Amino acid sequence: MNTIIIDGLAFSLPLFIMAVGGIYSEKSGVTNLALEGLQGFGAFIGALVAVLVAEKIGGNSSLPFYLAMIFAMVGGLLFSLIHALLCIRFKADMVISGVVVNTLAMALTVFLTKQVNTSHFHAPSDKFVLGVCGKVTIPGISKIPVLGAVFTNMYPFEFVIVIIACIAWFVMYKTRFGLHLRACGENPHAVDAAGMQVGKIRLIGVMVSGALSGLGGICFAYSISANFSPSIYVGYGYLAIAAYIFGNWKILPTLGACLLFGFARSGGYKLVQILGMPSSYQDLVMILPYALTLFLLIFFSKKNRAPRALGAIYDKGAR
Amino acid sequence: MNKKMNVFERMVLATIGHEKRQKIAIPVFSILIALIVGGVVIALLGHNPFYAFYNLLQGCGIAPKASYAGKKGMITDFMDFMDNLTPMIFAALAVAVALRSGLFNIGVSGQMLASGFLATVIVGYSSMAAPIAKPLVIIVGILTGACVGGLIGFLKYKFNINEVVSSIMLNYILEYIISFFINMYFVDPVSRQSKNVSAAARLTLTDVEIGGYKMDIPLGIILAILTVFLVRFVMNRTVLGFEMKAVGYSRTAAKYAGIKVGKNIVISMFISGALAGLAGVTYYLGYFASIQPKVLTSTGFDAIAVSLLGNNNPVGIIFSSFLITVIGKGSTYMSSASGVQQEIASVITGIILLFSACGAFVRYKTGRMRDTLKERKEEN
Repeated sequence: MNTIIIDGLAFSLPLFIMAVGGIYSEKSGVTNLALEGLQGFGAFIGALVAVLVAEKIGGNSSLPFYLAMIFAMVGGLLFSLIHALLCIRFKADMVISGVVVNTLAMALTVFLTKQVNTSHFHAPSDKFVLGVCGKVTIPGISKIPVLGAVFTNMYPFEFVIVIIACIAWFVMYKTRFGLHLRACGENPHAVDAAGMQVGKIRLIGVMVSGALSGLGGICFAYSISANFSPSIYVGYGYLAIAAYIFGNWKILPTLGACLLFGFARSGGYKLVQILGMPSSYQDLVMILPYALTLFLLIFFSKKNRAPRALGAIYDKGAR
Repeated sequence: MNKKMNVFERMVLATIGHEKRQKIAIPVFSILIALIVGGVVIALLGHNPFYAFYNLLQGCGIAPKASYAGKKGMITDFMDFMDNLTPMIFAALAVAVALRSGLFNIGVSGQMLASGFLATVIVGYSSMAAPIAKPLVIIVGILTGACVGGLIGFLKYKFNINEVVSSIMLNYILEYIISFFINMYFVDPVSRQSKNVSAAARLTLTDVEIGGYKMDIPLGIILAILTVFLVRFVMNRTVLGFEMKAVGYSRTAAKYAGIKVGKNIVISMFISGALAGLAGVTYYLGYFASIQPKVLTSTGFDAIAVSLLGNNNPVGIIFSSFLITVIGKGSTYMSSASGVQQEIASVITGIILLFSACGAFVRYKTGRMRDTLKERKEEN
């Protein structure tokens, strides 16, 4: 039971922070299919910094991990500028732009990883080995039955994610900027009439999504896969998109959706273990989050209401 | 300053600004820019970019290699290249048909896998004779792909599920289910892939000897070219094609005109899936003879680039798929001959995509430029 909660949280929180980023972008009216590419590129930059720093200082310091988190956010943010440029300035189709960013991120990171490995580390490998970051158990509360498992063997990034998610929630719903952002996705002309620049607000929305996706990506790289390799592109970004659509573009219900995915996944793995089935059955378990998403979307998609101006290019002249 | 700008503006207008030539000029321009960027990267890594690009052509049998193994020649490489090209044309057509009615079929890879797997299991492992097996493979492929595609369209129409999300979810579900079945029942213990299909079921004739050269003859390429013109006919000359186009431009307007939008969405995803199914069988039972578990082919994603580059025009797709396949297939030989990382190929493809996505903006900007230039002339 405890492992289900521990593993489930480690999977769902990075997913959640990516989904929060996606909500920022979509609430401002920019469709963001690029989450997958952004998380990969962010994780790549973070992992690159981490291995370079680790090479310099060596030892067991946790400095590379924290630097990696910061640089992953920076990397994701910078890469998201391509999406912003295409969607906002160049008025490209947002869905196509998202796919373009994904393709480019995938190609670039795989190419650069190999290139850096051969030219700098002299090893023909397609991954940066990161290891799993240290886990912490909070003394005291972790003794509480069942609920205590939440506070056992936590990855340090889980705290960071919770803090950032709280800030993101506050900014989105309680500040003037959040109001403007949400208005951009509903009625950009009204925002323009009120004297705000739609493009600028949307740009910030996309940048936030890039930074948060990068953070989510590096968290996956440091926990589940323990390295950065092309295997980071297994659809975390798309799962995050499914999560916020399922959560109706609201932050708290999205958290619920992410937790559901996480627990479905870790619960399934545990089930395979308990029943003592051969490892090829794990493939069937891997389906669970995706199948669950599709199944739930069938019931919830009708009631969902996307931001009204989502995916529409803002044209000042249009009425 | 003003004079200088004028020259620049004229240059832009003359090259990519011409309204009628823009359809071809913009893709050509994106390709050129991508090749230049790729060339600069290759040069920075200390290799000769021209030699590397020449390697791309050599790897595809378009330019002669320095030496060949016994009974192999340029034609061998070229036929292998054609074999690789066939699924790409089908996959790009699948993307283009869906895009015509405003849908984005990113699940081509999943549909390919599903149809390839079912055709492998139903026909590939049976002992049917070639004249029955080959058409049956194609039929199974079309039907499976169409069902998966149609399901995505149905989910969109009935439950309002974004087709991008549902097709990606289906991609993963199919990938894992099929890898489960392959690992459980059909695995070849040596290659860790599914067992090879029978030669009778394969859509490629392997090791045929013609004129002293051994080669693989892809039968699918003829079908692919025929399909291109069939799709072109349906898109441009039939009511169905017109309705799909109308739905793609504006759903509300199409509805107002009395077109059944929901039915159209399902039909166009159905056709798109069928084409993806053809891509699947020519890929898994033609170019290859087995399926690698847990891997989705990149063909379905590259097809998006191909389709965009070809302006979603069936005939344009022949040219763009030719180019993208040259880059993709030739990169293997390039990495062995000149030591450039093979992955540079997908980077170049990505950059091509990036610039083709800006096509609408270029059209808009050059249109404005033309207008201002005209005004200026009138003032003078």
